[in-house]
Amino acid sequence: MIMAEPVSSSQPQVSAPVDEDELVRDARQGNLTAYDELVKRYQERIYATLYHMTSNHEDANDLAQESFIKAFQALKSFKGGSSFYTWLYRIAVNKTINFLKQRKNRTHISLNNIDFNAEHDPDLIALISEQTPRRAAGLTELQEKLNEALMKLSESHRLVVVMHDVQGLSHEEIAEAMDCNVGTVRSRLFYARQQLQGFLADYLKPT
Amino acid sequence: MNENENNFESLRRLLALKRHETPPPGYFANFSAAVTARIRAGDARRTASVPDRLADELPWLFRLMSAFEAKPAFAGAFASALCLLLLVGIVYAERPSDIEPQPILQATLDTSPLAVATPVNLSSQPAEQTVFLSSTNPVFNSQPAGAWFASQGPTVQPVNFMLPGN
Repeated sequence: MIMAEPVSSSQPQVSAPVDEDELVRDARQGNLTAYDELVKRYQERIYATLYHMTSNHEDANDLAQESFIKAFQALKSFKGGSSFYTWLYRIAVNKTINFLKQRKNRTHISLNNIDFNAEHDPDLIALISEQTPRRAAGLTELQEKLNEALMKLSESHRLVVVMHDVQGLSHEEIAEAMDCNVGTVRSRLFYARQQLQGFLADYLKPT
Repeated sequence: MNENENNFESLRRLLALKRHETPPPGYFANFSAAVTARIRAGDARRTASVPDRLADELPWLFRLMSAFEAKPAFAGAFASALCLLLLVGIVYAERPSDIEPQPILQATLDTSPLAVATPVNLSSQPAEQTVFLSSTNPVFNSQPAGAWFASQGPTVQPVNFMLPGN
């Protein structure tokens, strides 16, 4: 894993453009400061998707960095038919699916910590068993089981669940990112939820 | 769909937990710097592996390969179809022609060596014989292959080089 190195101060600073098209245009001409701004805009969303897909912080970090690097390399081929974010998302998702196929049966889970807000999330509080003496322990156990269940899904099904139920993307946005139609997204989502419900039956309260 | 959504309400709540999984503090502060540093260092060139380039330049091929990986049965069916196509091609290529092979000229069967060079008046030939002149018909030679060089009579003679003064 390659961690951060400070950006050289010799890089000419441009007046921070807000417009994404302008940033993309500048980055396409090799302006790394403009590209740095684009990375900052989307790093959290891209990382989160890759993390939820891999259930591994180190893998997600490597994949996210490589996705941004690859996007920079391929900027000349970006025609602007979709938003930069959708295009970038597609690169990251394809890279991750390739990675997961290559490392099949070598799943190594390395989970991030749960933030403090989780303990106050009403959805989660409702789910934690009343018999659990310590709430934090209940959340950790749930987190492990949830990630294990997600890793049992196929890559395409996991991706749909992550994008829709975790990240809140619409069916249309998912279809565009995955280069498939909305009907496929809906059916994959339904199937994936059914599977997850089966895997996590012990942790779900009947509705 | 609403009923389905209700059925999955409990699951949706559980999945909310994923949103609370966060990377170590300060992680994103350095992320973009790491990316640009790697780009500067030329790491970008090394990361462009062959499958990645394929995915960029030949997306249809990449999708086909992905389909093969995802569905081995599909790969098997595709390979079987290719084998069948190859087999049909071989069988078709080796099938004997319906037209009997015939000499290009009637005169080639003549034993006289000058007969081949004898000009043929095509206009005087009957229509039946004109067919023999077709250049697409195979040419058969009645002579055995060994006879081709018989007239030249190749012989092997040992060569001895004598240097002057020896």
